[in-house]
Amino acid sequence: MSGNSTSDDAASASAFERIVRSYNAAGFLPVLVTVLLVAFALFVPNFVAVQNLLNVLRSSSYLVIIAAGQMLVLIVGGFDLSQGAVVALTSVSSALVMAGLKDTFAGEPNLIILIGILAGLGCGAIVGFVNGACVAFLRIAPFMVTLGTMSIATGFALLLTSGIPVYGMPKSYVEGFGRGLWLDLPTAFYLAAIVVAVIWVMQNYTRMGRYILAIGGNMQAATVSGVPAKTYLILSYVICSILSSISGLALTAQIGSGQAVINAQLTLESIAAAVIAGVSIKGGVGRVEMVALGAILLLTLTDAMDLLRIDPRIQAIFLGIIVVLAVALDELSQRRAALV
Amino acid sequence: MSFPSGGRRLSDVSIAGASITSGSEGARHRGAARWGFILLLPLLIVAMELGVSLFEPRVLSLRNVINILVQTSYLLLFASAQMVVILTGGFDLSLGMAVSLISVATALVTTGSAAAGAPAWLVVTAGIATGLGVGLLVGIFNGTFVSCVGINPFVVTLGSLNICYGLATTISGGRPVFNVPDAFSRLLYDGTFVPGIPIPVTLAIIVAVLLYLLLDRTVFGRALYLIGNNPRAASLAGLPSKRYLLLAYVTCSLLAAFGSLMLTARTGSGEPNLGGSLMLESIAAAVIGGVSLQGGVGGIVPAILGSIFVTMLSNAMDLLEVGGYVQQILLGCVIIAAIFLDRVRVTRS
Repeated sequence: MSGNSTSDDAASASAFERIVRSYNAAGFLPVLVTVLLVAFALFVPNFVAVQNLLNVLRSSSYLVIIAAGQMLVLIVGGFDLSQGAVVALTSVSSALVMAGLKDTFAGEPNLIILIGILAGLGCGAIVGFVNGACVAFLRIAPFMVTLGTMSIATGFALLLTSGIPVYGMPKSYVEGFGRGLWLDLPTAFYLAAIVVAVIWVMQNYTRMGRYILAIGGNMQAATVSGVPAKTYLILSYVICSILSSISGLALTAQIGSGQAVINAQLTLESIAAAVIAGVSIKGGVGRVEMVALGAILLLTLTDAMDLLRIDPRIQAIFLGIIVVLAVALDELSQRRAALV
Repeated sequence: MSFPSGGRRLSDVSIAGASITSGSEGARHRGAARWGFILLLPLLIVAMELGVSLFEPRVLSLRNVINILVQTSYLLLFASAQMVVILTGGFDLSLGMAVSLISVATALVTTGSAAAGAPAWLVVTAGIATGLGVGLLVGIFNGTFVSCVGINPFVVTLGSLNICYGLATTISGGRPVFNVPDAFSRLLYDGTFVPGIPIPVTLAIIVAVLLYLLLDRTVFGRALYLIGNNPRAASLAGLPSKRYLLLAYVTCSLLAAFGSLMLTARTGSGEPNLGGSLMLESIAAAVIGGVSLQGGVGGIVPAILGSIFVTMLSNAMDLLEVGGYVQQILLGCVIIAAIFLDRVRVTRS
C-alpha cells in the first residue's frame, strides 16, 4: 500500500490488512475447512442431513480428543505411537471390569461404571507414565519407546480377551452415555468440547502451557532457566495417554463391547490431524483449537467420500495425498513469509 | 532432526569433563567397556541360542539354522533399506505398504503376461522391471517431498503409506493374486546359484556387499553419514545434499522393492497385506542393531546383527511355543531394552 493514499483507501487497506493478519495468524486451515463444508453442503447429497452431521460430529469427537493428546506430546518434541493400543487396552480392561462386577454389584450400575472407567483410565495413566519415564529418564527416542509400548499394550489387550469382544457392560453406560444424545447432540461432542476447552486454557493461561512450549523449543535452555523439564515431559505423556483412554471409553460405550482390535488407523489419523493443523514435529509449536479443526477436516472428508460412495481403499489414497499436500502448502507459505 | 533430545548435550558436556580428569587408566577402562558394548549384541545372540537349546534342542538343528538364515535374508533387505534413510536422520513409514504394492503389481504383471503367452524370460524381466519401477516411483515421491519441499519424513512417508495401501488394495481388489509363474519363483527362490546355499541367502549377501561398498567407498555413501550428523555442515561443505537425500530415499525404496520381489517369489502370489508388520520390524531390526535414530550412525553390520537378533528371537519363541500375544509383549520389551542399551553405548563412547 502506498503512503499517500486517501483516507477511504486507508480504511479499506486496514480492513484488508486486518484480514491478512488474521489469516496469517490462523493459517489457511479455517478457510479450507469452511470452503470444504460449503462445497460438500452444496454438492454432496445428504451431507447436510441431520443424521449425517451427528455422525460426523460424533466420530470426529473421538479423534479430536486423541489428537489433542498427540499434540501435547508433539509439542514437547516427542511422538506417541501407542495411542491406538491404549484405546484398545482401555476398551478391553474397562469392559472386562464392568462385565466381571456385573453380579457382585448387581443393583448398582453406577458403581460398576465408575470402577470400570477408573480401570480404563488407570491403564492409560500407566502406559503414559512408562512412555514419559523412558523418554525423560532413560532418554530413549520417543518413537522407539512408544513403538515398544504399542506392541506391549496391544499384546496385553489381545491376551486378556483372546481377541474376542467383551460384552456385558451396564445398559445405562451403552445407551445413556455411548449412544445417547444430550440436548440433541452426541455425548462425545461435549466430552471433546470440554477437553479442547481445558487444554486451551492450559496452553494460554497456565504455567504448564508455557513450560511445555519451552521444553519443545529448546529443552536445554528450558532446563537451565529452571523449568522442571522431566516432570512436565512425563506429565505430557501421561495426559496424552489419559486422553486416549477417555476416547477409548467413549468409543467402547458407543460400540457396546470391549474390543482388542479397535480402529488401527487411530494413531496415524491423530498424528495426521495434528500435523495438518500446523503442529511441528520438531516440537515447540501447536494450538489445540487448530488441532480440533484438523481432526474435523479429516473426518468431514472421509464422510463426504463415504457419501459419494468412494471405495474406502481409494479414500486412503486421497487422505495420503491430502496430508502431504497440506503440510507442503504450509511449509511453502512459511518459506515465502520468511522471505518477505 | 525428528527427535531433539536436549538432555544429550548436557550429558556430553559432563562426559567430556570426566575425560579431562581421568587418566590413561580410565581411557583403557572405557576402551574395554566400548568393546563390551560392540560385542554385546553378537554375544546376546549366541547366549540366547545356547540358552534356548537347553530347553529345545531343535533350535540348533541344521534345518532350523537354515530356516533362520532364509528368514533373516528378507528382514535384512528391509532393515538395510530402512537403515539408509535412518542414516540421514529420517525414516520410511511407507516401507511395508510399498512392499505390498510392489508384490501385487509384480504378480499382476507376471500372471497377466504369462496368460498372454509371453515367453518365460520376458515374463520374469517384466515382473522385475515392474517391481523395481514401482519402487523407484515411491522413492522419488518420498525423496522429492523430503529433500526439495523440506517436509518432515514422518509426514511424507505417512502420506505415501496411505497412498501405497490404497493402490495395493485397489488394483488387487483386496485379494491375493495367485499363480505367479514358476519361472519367477525359480529365479528368486527355488533355484540354485551356489550349491547348498538357498537363493535368498545368496541374494542377501550380494546386496549386503554392494551396500557396504556403496556406504563405505563412495562419496554418496560417506555424504549420507555427514548429512545425518550435521546437515548444515554438509551443505556448507558443498555437498549436493538435496540430491543425495533424494537418492537415499530412492535407494531405500529400491532395496525394499527387491526384498518384495524375493518375498513374492517365495509365496508364489501377490499379497496386498504382505508388508503389514514390515515397517515396524524393519525399523526395530535396524535400531536394535545400533543404527541411531538421531542419524549419522549405522552401517550394514548393525543391520545384519539386528535382523539376525529379531529373527532368532521370534524363531526361538515359536519353537518354545510362546503364544503370539505374549510374543508381541516380549518384542515390545526387547525393543525398549535394546534402545536403552544403545543409549548407554552412545553415551559411553
